This record gives sequence, structure tokens and C-alpha cells, in this order.
Amino acid sequence: MKCVILAAGEGKRMHPLTYTRPKVMLPIANKPILEWNLLNAIEAGLEEFIFIVGYKSEMVRNYFSNGNKWGIKIEYVNQGKPLGTAHAIGIVESFVDEFIVLCGDTIFGKDDIKNIMNKENSIGVTRVEDAREYGVVELDKNNKIIGIHEKMSKPISNIINAGLYHFDKKIFDFIRKTKRSPRGEYEITDSINMFVEKFSMKGVLLEEWRDVVYPWHLLDANKEILSKMKKNVEGEVEENVTLNGEVTIGEGSRVMNGSYIEGPVVIGRNCKIGPNCYIRPYTSIGDNCHIGNACEVKNSIIMSNSNIPHQNYVGDSIIGSNCNLGAGTKIANLRLDKRNIKVTINGKKIDTERRKLGVIMGDNVQTGINSMINVGALIGNDVFVGPGATANGEIKPGARII
Amino acid sequence: MCGIVGYTGFRNAKEVILDCLKRLDYRGYDSAGVALLEKDELKVFKEVGEIKVLEKKIPNINATSGIGHTRWATHGEVSRRNAHPHLSCNGKIAVVHNGIIENFKKLREELEQRGHKFKSDTDTEVIAHLIEEGYNDNLKDAVYSAIEKIRGSYAIVALSREEPDIIIGARRESPLVIGIGDNENFLTSDIPALLRYTNRVIYLDDGEVCVLSKNSVDIFDSNKRKIEKKIHLVEWNIEDAEKSGFPHFMLKEIYEQPRAIQQTLIGRISEIGQSIEFNRDVEALLNNNLTSITIVACGTSFYAGLVGKYLIEHLAGIPTYLELASEYRYFGVRDSNSLVIAITQSGETADTLGALREAKNIGCKTLVITNVIGSSATRIADAFILTQSGPEIGVAATKTFTSQILILFLIALKLAGDKISVEELSRYISSLRGLSKDVRRVLEESDDILKIAEKIKDSQSVFFIGRGINYPLSLEGALKLKEISYIHAEGFPAGELKHGPFALLTEKTPVIAIITKDKTYDKMITNIGEVKARHSPVIAIADEDDEEIEKYADFVIRFPSNSTLLSCILIAVILQLLAYHTANLRGCEIDKPRNLAKSVTVE
Amino acid sequence: MIKKAVILAAGEGRRLKPFTEAIPKVMLPVANRPILDHILDSVRKNGIEDIIMVVGYKKESIMDYFRDEEDITYVFQDKQLGTAHALLQAKEYIDEPFVVLPGDNIIDQTSIRKLMNSKSDISILIKEHQHPSKYGVVFLEEKKIKKIVEKPTDGTNRFISTGIYKFPVSIFNEIEELSSQGVYDLTSVLQTLLNQGEEIEAVIAERWMDIVYPWDIININEMMIRGIASSIAGVIEKNVILKGNVLIGKNTVIYSGSYIQGPAVIGEGCEIGPNVCIFPSTVIGNNVTIHPFSEIRNSVIMDETRIGSNASISNSVIGRGNTIDSHFSTISGRSIIEIEGEFNEVEDIGAIIGEDCNIGSHVVIESGKIIGRRCDIDSLKRIIKDIPSEIKVM
Repeated sequence: MKCVILAAGEGKRMHPLTYTRPKVMLPIANKPILEWNLLNAIEAGLEEFIFIVGYKSEMVRNYFSNGNKWGIKIEYVNQGKPLGTAHAIGIVESFVDEFIVLCGDTIFGKDDIKNIMNKENSIGVTRVEDAREYGVVELDKNNKIIGIHEKMSKPISNIINAGLYHFDKKIFDFIRKTKRSPRGEYEITDSINMFVEKFSMKGVLLEEWRDVVYPWHLLDANKEILSKMKKNVEGEVEENVTLNGEVTIGEGSRVMNGSYIEGPVVIGRNCKIGPNCYIRPYTSIGDNCHIGNACEVKNSIIMSNSNIPHQNYVGDSIIGSNCNLGAGTKIANLRLDKRNIKVTINGKKIDTERRKLGVIMGDNVQTGINSMINVGALIGNDVFVGPGATANGEIKPGARII
Repeated sequence: MCGIVGYTGFRNAKEVILDCLKRLDYRGYDSAGVALLEKDELKVFKEVGEIKVLEKKIPNINATSGIGHTRWATHGEVSRRNAHPHLSCNGKIAVVHNGIIENFKKLREELEQRGHKFKSDTDTEVIAHLIEEGYNDNLKDAVYSAIEKIRGSYAIVALSREEPDIIIGARRESPLVIGIGDNENFLTSDIPALLRYTNRVIYLDDGEVCVLSKNSVDIFDSNKRKIEKKIHLVEWNIEDAEKSGFPHFMLKEIYEQPRAIQQTLIGRISEIGQSIEFNRDVEALLNNNLTSITIVACGTSFYAGLVGKYLIEHLAGIPTYLELASEYRYFGVRDSNSLVIAITQSGETADTLGALREAKNIGCKTLVITNVIGSSATRIADAFILTQSGPEIGVAATKTFTSQILILFLIALKLAGDKISVEELSRYISSLRGLSKDVRRVLEESDDILKIAEKIKDSQSVFFIGRGINYPLSLEGALKLKEISYIHAEGFPAGELKHGPFALLTEKTPVIAIITKDKTYDKMITNIGEVKARHSPVIAIADEDDEEIEKYADFVIRFPSNSTLLSCILIAVILQLLAYHTANLRGCEIDKPRNLAKSVTVE
Repeated sequence: MIKKAVILAAGEGRRLKPFTEAIPKVMLPVANRPILDHILDSVRKNGIEDIIMVVGYKKESIMDYFRDEEDITYVFQDKQLGTAHALLQAKEYIDEPFVVLPGDNIIDQTSIRKLMNSKSDISILIKEHQHPSKYGVVFLEEKKIKKIVEKPTDGTNRFISTGIYKFPVSIFNEIEELSSQGVYDLTSVLQTLLNQGEEIEAVIAERWMDIVYPWDIININEMMIRGIASSIAGVIEKNVILKGNVLIGKNTVIYSGSYIQGPAVIGEGCEIGPNVCIFPSTVIGNNVTIHPFSEIRNSVIMDETRIGSNASISNSVIGRGNTIDSHFSTISGRSIIEIEGEFNEVEDIGAIIGEDCNIGSHVVIESGKIIGRRCDIDSLKRIIKDIPSEIKVM
């Protein structure tokens, strides 16, 4: 049985992080979301994968290659035009018989995947608090699907379509008949609604499910996964370093004297940590990073090849790859009036419902010495924040605050 | 010229190939065709006219491999039987081709003597038969044997019913690019054709042959040795160009000029900062120690270059030579200290590319002004400046011409450095900032131009005259009129008329005189008098403040007052509109004029 | 499900002179995008796939702006005879129920959805309005329309027709019939249908704005940018203060010492400053240069305009492509402004300047004065009355 993973989307609500990478490649605990799904799917017993790619597909291909690294086989198919989930699945008709489909940007657990594998013609469902933004799944008392209703303003239940499916070749006829939805795409939920008129499909309640919509959700997912990790130190740790709790340090990394790390924390390969830095729980640091003297990092995701090198504070933030913070650059993560932090994404104001949020920073950002980044700032890729300058609000890619 | 697409993979080949061909529209075509491999049957469909017409004639076919072509006729008239793809006698081999085979007559004679039957008048068909002759269970070897015998330029894609899983590409001097997909691969003459499906490409070089299957790409050099080539990632966006209500692309592009001008200037001039800036690579070339500049170009770009020569010499005092690219390649004296500036809208013009390569060989530094990012020219030259005016579909160049002149103006100002005073620079920058507004005015007040078009539309010949910077404009005005209205037109420096061309003037030959308020004003008035003495109607293109001219010209088309050299842009727009309206009144085919193509990739 | 929309964009908008001398009313900018663009947004977000746009007056500017949009088909109305006549031009492209919208109003997405989902085949979006006498007024009974009257003298009723309708294909028959009788406007067509006993459902619109007079441009811009979120692109130099919600487009440079208080929108490719102050609610278009020490307050400055140093501009609308020398002042205050023979009292209004003017230095413009397009005003002039287009003031 093949596993088809949908990995073509841009993930516009993840801006500015997704200006330069597809959503599925955003890292949690130092692995792209897609890799977590791949690992869980492999543990569930799947060996042949088809990744449907599109936006920035080369990043996915470069990272996963043919799957040899994990002992499995990965093929790629380019979706071409981004016309929706049904269109994407329809393209692989000639490659599959009975197959699993998984939304690459949502994290599924291995037991759930295995469960779905064992039930023909089934879809995964899950409970959420607010079902208004999702597809509500109407089930009969035997868990047979009656229909899926997208974005109900008054949801009839809080059981929603989780984005995990088990199909066979029959679905393709219905995909062919699917018409464009009001938002101009071909949606698999419409195909399923047609399918259940003729055939039967079951809903399977999932135990684990996490979707990430906005950038700060990555911090929540990061925290959840880090909480389950066990320590593993492969790098070099000098004498006067304190490692408390579950701390993972990758090969080739060096932690220098005076560093104080409170787990759970993950540090990638070939990093230079310290001396005299303070890394607090729920922080993921990618490969080739430099966290230097007098720096404090907490509850943050730092992507590869970035430097937080001298006298910086980074809290509740996401820093993209190839970023460089100048000496003394600090990030504010708490409003003085302690209210919820609101951010602007794509011109829309959104309440993050978080009291603490630092910066969401894209790739290749450079900050000058003593620059300041205010709470909830969203900084696009290739932005330059000059020495002593303050960055506020949404800053689009390529801008310069001098 | 012609557009080529080849596909082998898992998708419906008919849909993919037609979709890609539609994106090759800008190359200009008069007919289109596809060959599709369904199981082991080779089915060919071709039609004269638009791809939409062809599309309707193709039934639902279950094919996953095929080749497609849009034809711009060079040998043989426009007709269904001359359209590509062409088949071998046994109907097993199909070929599409872009280029010119110089020795095709001899080859055809020889093939006919050996019993081959030809169905078309094209040079391409010989390729199909040559492959057939060389075919011995191996399509790749057969293609090699065919290209050994061909002299000329070609980009070929071939497939055979006997080997349904592969398509073969070969090139010499006509562009051919491989698009790498997953479980599918593409061949095309232009990258935009395949951007929807993949952005990974391999550029084929001359003499190379490639074999594509849905899962493999093998490339061989001219000695049949397998080679590895670099995969490039293309970062462009697909631009869907539509006419959007305008009756012709050309008119739409003329109207786009106010915006195109702003796009060209963005990031390059600062009014508050009083500066002109290019990116680092370009600035490195534009230093004060240049002893001379050589501009190479073809067609309308050549005239833009001629305007550039006047600008650079006037403002910066650097000797500037102008060479037709097709001549530069083979003739003339070379100076390796000269900065060579090539101007090519598409970045693929064969003659200009050849000139660029020649310049590099001699050791010159090269700069190219072009509109297409990622084009061959940008990859050959040391640095490039993009005109950033958006895709130009109409075959006759309009907005790219004015954008090219603007860039040359900026280059001239940059090179001028201290030679112009701070006040002068300030005035030029203000004029540049106000330019798109002035162009808008010309467009809005173009009723006069329509009236003049009425008057000249039935002429046999029209002459354009000007002095100084207006001389190249007169050449461009004549070219535009010729290109799309098919009226014979010629441009002359006004002072030259008396040295010969006067003999052609009659009361039936209108003369368009471009006259601006500079040191040659009085002389131009005299020239106009001389023309009138021969009874030719004179239409002056003059500054709106020029009251004198009313006394001398029969008709006047006015442009907004502009005390700087930038009036040349306004005059260019007037000349474009004049040509457009004249051609329109005559019912000519404006976007795809007969016998012309947008990007001339043959020599 | 409704997939087609007809947008009427052929009208001139005479009461908006001098701005509509060069561009049609639908292309007037609100928050730096043509009003028409805002409508297309609302309409597309409701799943409309096919837009038939009826154009006429100055259609090139519309076709040029939307040149890359694939879902627009243009239909030409050569003579501006009326709304029903305009709609009739689109007949051959419609074979299913559709919505009709005038291209010159701002309407929100939700209202359009309510209209599309209404029960009756013929439905109309209505809105409460303080000055109903300028519009087609609607008289209701329950949720159904009893009567529609264009510009009634009896000003008691509060609801007006927005001019946004949902129609079945059969509407064209009615329109054609009335057309042959010389009746060309949709209000009359609807009244005729009502007289025949047809049911027309009224749907109340949530957010609807119309621009009738030049000073409405300031108000409508102010309303549209109220809720914007900050977004900075371009280059911001040192010592620039950005307060509140400020949108700055790409390739724009804000030079040192400038103070911008939102809500404020600045377009792309602008050069502002050094030491320029911009106060709410100001919208500045693309490619605008504002020289040092100028102050702009609650005004709309359109594309390509250049404002010299030490300018003081408030409550004004400055059209596209103006070149204004240094020390320019507008005066704000109450003014009585005549538009097409009607007198309007307007509070807190500055200057209204058409496009492509050349204004010398030290020019002062009294409140509420309208300057036409392509005017030239010499230095040291005080303008105390309206100036028609293409006039030189020496």
C-alpha cells in the first residue's frame, strides 16, 4: 500500500516563514513537519511514498531525496497548477491501487496511521474546540460518513476531517466528477460527499492530531514534541557546562564553558554554543548555529545556519535560516500591560491569544548592533534592521529599517 | 521563431503539450501541430491558425508522449502540409524543428533520388527522412547520423513509433532546454512553456543530443560520449499575457508605456538623493575610465542604440560606436578596451548573441540591456540591466524600445559624472520622474495622430526626417510604419535629403519631420521648406510651445513641452501610434505581421 | 450557485470632475487601488468565476490596469444611455442567474453573499442612508419591496437602493421591452416588475459606500484605511517615527526625521522626506515625492505627484501627476462648493486639485476651491475661486 503525502502548498498563513520554503518543510524539534509524518508513517508500516509537491518543490526533493536515508522509497509528482486536494490526489491515479493520503502539514501519530491502514475506505476524524474553520464530519451511529460540511458558522458537532484518508481506486471516478468549489479549487471533501452516496466510508477517531496554521502554532508543536524527547549528547561538552533535563546535542557541536542548558532542548549538528550562554526549555536549535556569549534563548525555534552570537535575548520566537543577529540585538516578547499579543499576517490583524510572543523572522535577515525587535514582529526574508533601529509590526521581505 | 515542445511522462500528453504551446504564443506563429504516441500508433494533427483551432481537431487520446510545434514559416508557404511535425516515409518517425537548414535542397535531391517521397516544401522534412535512413533499431544513432549531414541551425525533437518510451532532442545554434520533472520530462525551445510543471532545467549546448524517457535524461556530446550537465533552478514567475479588451497586443503595449517607464526607473533614480544607481555588477563596468563604447543590436534595438549613442556622446563625451550585430560578428576593427553594450529585448536574438560571444572572445567587457530575465544574453554577458517592462507580445517593439532608450539615458547620465552640473542632473532627474505623466498625455491626446493616419494610409511611400537625436527616431518611425502597415517608408537625416533622396519626393509622398527646439531648429525649418518646394505634404512632430512651425508644416502633431533630451521618448510614442493607426485603418494583421516573428533566433 | 457577475463600469461620474476628466469614476483610487479593484475582490471571494465588465468612458485605463486578469470579459457600451441599457450589452454572455454591481461603490463580501443566497430570483441590496434623496429610494413592506422611486422629493423613507441586484436570465426580456419604449434605467425596470406583481426581495447591506463628490474621496479613503494593519516594505532611515497603523509600499524610501502617524498608507516607489510629517488619515499613491519639511494631514495624494518642500496640505485631494513647488498651502474650513449647478455645504475641506497641474511656489489655495486638470499656476498666487481645467493663472 502506498502512502501519498500532500506537500505542495505554500501555507500563506505561515508568512513570513513560507516566503522561502513550503509549509511542510518548517522545522519542529529540528525536523521538518513532513519528516515527522514520514517517520510516523514508516513506523506504522508504510514503505512506499509519493510526495505531491509544488511550491518550492526543490527544498522537499533536496531534503528527502529518494528515501534511502530511511530505508524506504519516495517518488515525487509535481502538482502543476495548485487546484486543490482532489486535483492533487487525482494526478497519482496511475501510480496507486489502494493507498493512504496524508496532509503533509498536519502531524499524525503512528498508531492512528496504522489504524487507518487497517480500515478500507476510511477517513481520520478528530475533535476540536472550535470547528468553524474546518470540515465538520457528520457520522451515523456506526461511524459511517453521511457527509462533510465545510466551514459551518454553527457547527453541528466538533468532529472534523483530520486530513488522513484510506482510499482505493474507486475514488478516482468521483474525483473526475468533482466540480470547482466556491473558492475555485477541486476539494477532496466534495469527492467524498459524492462517494458516500454510492459506497460506504467510515470515520476513524484519531488519538493524536496537531495542525499548525499560524507561525506561533509551531512553538506549541515544538513544545509538545520536545516534551517527549529523551536526552542524547553526541557533541563535545566542556567541563563547566550544566545540562539539566533532556538535552540533545548533535554530532560535531561544541558546548563551551559556562553554558547553562535546561531541557527539553534540541541542538543540531556542528553548532557552536557558548561560552556563558543560557538556553531555556522548549528551544530547538538547527545545524551550524552559533549561540554565543551572554545570550539567552528560550522557548524558540532557531533554524539552521543562524547566529545569535553576542549579548542577545531571544524568547518565544522563530528565527529563520541564515539569519544573523548583531551584537546586543534583543527581542521583546511580553507587552508591558501583559495583554494578548496581536499580529498582522498578510494585512490581517490576528489575536495570537498568547501573552508571550517574540519575533517571527524569515530567512537571511540581518540585524545591526543593539537593534530592537518589538513583541509580535513579523520580519520577512532578506530584511535588514540597522544598528540601533527598532523593528515593529509586519515588515515585508526586502525592506530595510536603517 | 518556431516554438517546440516535447513531453514524455505520466500525464495526458495532449493536454500538457497544448498547454505548453499556448505559452509560446509570443514567438509568433502561423500554424501549429502535434504528434502523439498512443500505444504503438503515431497520430499527427496539424492546422493553420491558432492553437485553439488545432485543439478542437484533436480527439481524446490516451497518449503519454508526444511532440508539439508552433510554426513561423521560413521555407515553404504557410499551409497545413508544411506545418510540423513532419513524418518519414514509413510514418514511423515524427520530427519538429526550429531553425534553418542551409543545405536542404541538396539533401532533398539526394533523398529523392534514393526513393524518398516528400509531402511538404519545408527544409524540416529532410530531417525526418535522414533519420529514417539512418534508422537501425536505435533512434539516437539515427538522429546522430542525420545531424552529421545537416548544415545550418536546428533545435530538433524527434520520436519514433518503434521506441515509444523515448523522445530525442538535438541542437545547434537554436535554443533547446530540457525540463526535469518527476516521472516525466520535457523538451522546449523556451522555458516559460514549462514553468507550470517544473522549474528545473538543463540547457543543451551546440552539438549535444539528449535522450529522454519518463524516468531518465541522458545527454551525449558531439562525439556520442555521455556527459553530465548541471541542473539549473529557474526562479521566474509565469506571466499570463492577455489582450484584455484592447483590439491588439501592440496597442495594449503602447498604452502600457507610462507604467513600463516607471517600472524601468524604479530603484534606479532618486529625486531626493539626486542620484542614479544600478546594481554592483553594472556599476563596476560603468566607470570613468572608459575610452569607448560599442553598442551592438538589431532592428528596433539598433535604433534605440543609435539614440543611446547621441545621449552618451552628448552627456558623457565618450566615443560610442554603433554596430549592427549581424555585421559585427564578421567584420570591423576590434578594440578590447571598448565596453560592448548589447541590446536585445528577448535576450535570444541569434545575431546579437553571436556578437556578444565575439566581443567576449576579443576580451571586451560586456553589458546587455534586455527584457527577459534568464535569457541566453544574460548568461553570456558580464552584467545585465533589465528593462523590467513586462512581456511584449506584439511583434513590433514598442514599450521595450522606449525602455531601452531610458536605460541608455541613465547609463549616459551615470557615465557623465562630473561633466554635467548639479543643476543639470537635477533637471534630468525631475524630467525622468515626470516622464510617464507626459507619455500619458500623448496617449490621451492622440486624436490628431488618428487624423494624420487617415491622410497617409493610402500613400505608396512615406519619408521621415530628423536631425541629431531625432534622426534615429526617424529611422524607427519608418521601420514601425513599414513593419505593420506594409507601406514603404524610409528615414533620413534631414540634411541628407538634398544629396539624393529628393528625387523621390512628389505630392504623393508625405514627409514626417521631427523638429525640436535645439540648435538645429532653424536648419530643420529650411529642410521643411525644401520639401514643401517639391509639393510633398509635411507633417511636423513638434513641441507644443512651438508656434513657428505652423507657418511651415501642413499638419502638426504636438508633444508636451520638455526642455530636455527626453522628448525623444514622447516622439517615439507618437510614431508608434501613427504606425498603429495607419495599419489599423488599412486592415493589416498588427500583432503578427506577415513574414515577421518576435524573436529572431535564426540568422 | 451564482458564478457570473456583471459590473457596470461605463459611466463618467460628472460630479467628480476634475478627476473624472481623465479617468472613469470606477478607477478613482481608494487606499491606493481603484474602487473597481475593491469590488472585484469582494465579488471573487464569493466564488464568482466570470466577470463581464461593461465599459465605455475612458475604457483604456480600465483594460490597462486589469490586463493580467483572466476572468474578465469586456463589453462595450458606446453611448451612456442608462443602467439598464448598460446591462443589456452583457446579454449574450449570460445564460444563468447573475449579480449586477455598479463599479463605483465599495461593498463588502458578506453583503454580496447574502444577496446571492437570498430566496427570491430577483433581489436587491439596500442600505440606510442619511441623504436618501440623492438615490433611488426603496419603500418596504416586511422584507419585500413595495415601491422604488428615483430621487424622491418626499425625504422621509430611509432605505436606498445600492444598485446591486441579483437577477434571473429572464430580466433581459423586461429590459429589452422597456428599452424599446425609451426607458433605460434599472430603477424603472424594477418598478415595472413590481407593478406586474413580481416579488423583489430586499437584503440589507452591511458596508456600502459611494463616492459622489470630490470631497467624498477623503471620507471614503479614511473609512477604508481605518482598520488597516501596519506593514512596512521599502527603506526606512534612522530617526523615522512610525506611530499607529502605517502601510509603506516597496521601493519607497522614508528619509530620516520623518514622522508618520497612522492610519496612513504610502504607496510604492515614493520618496518621502527628510523631515516630512504625515498625519491621519492620509493616503499617498505610488511614485510620489514629498520634499523636506512638508506636512500632509487627512488628505489623498494620488500617483506620480511631486510636492515641494515646506508644503502644508490638509483635508485635500491632490490628483495624479501634479508638480507643486515649495511653500504650497491649502486652507481648511467650511465652504460652499458648487457641483453641476448644485450647492453643497462642506465642513473642513481644503483644496481639490485635478491631475497634471504645475503649481509654482508660495501658492495658497482657499478652502473648498476646485482646480481643474492641466492648470498652470504661477508663484505667489492666492487662489480664491475655482479654476477650470487647462487654465493658466498668471
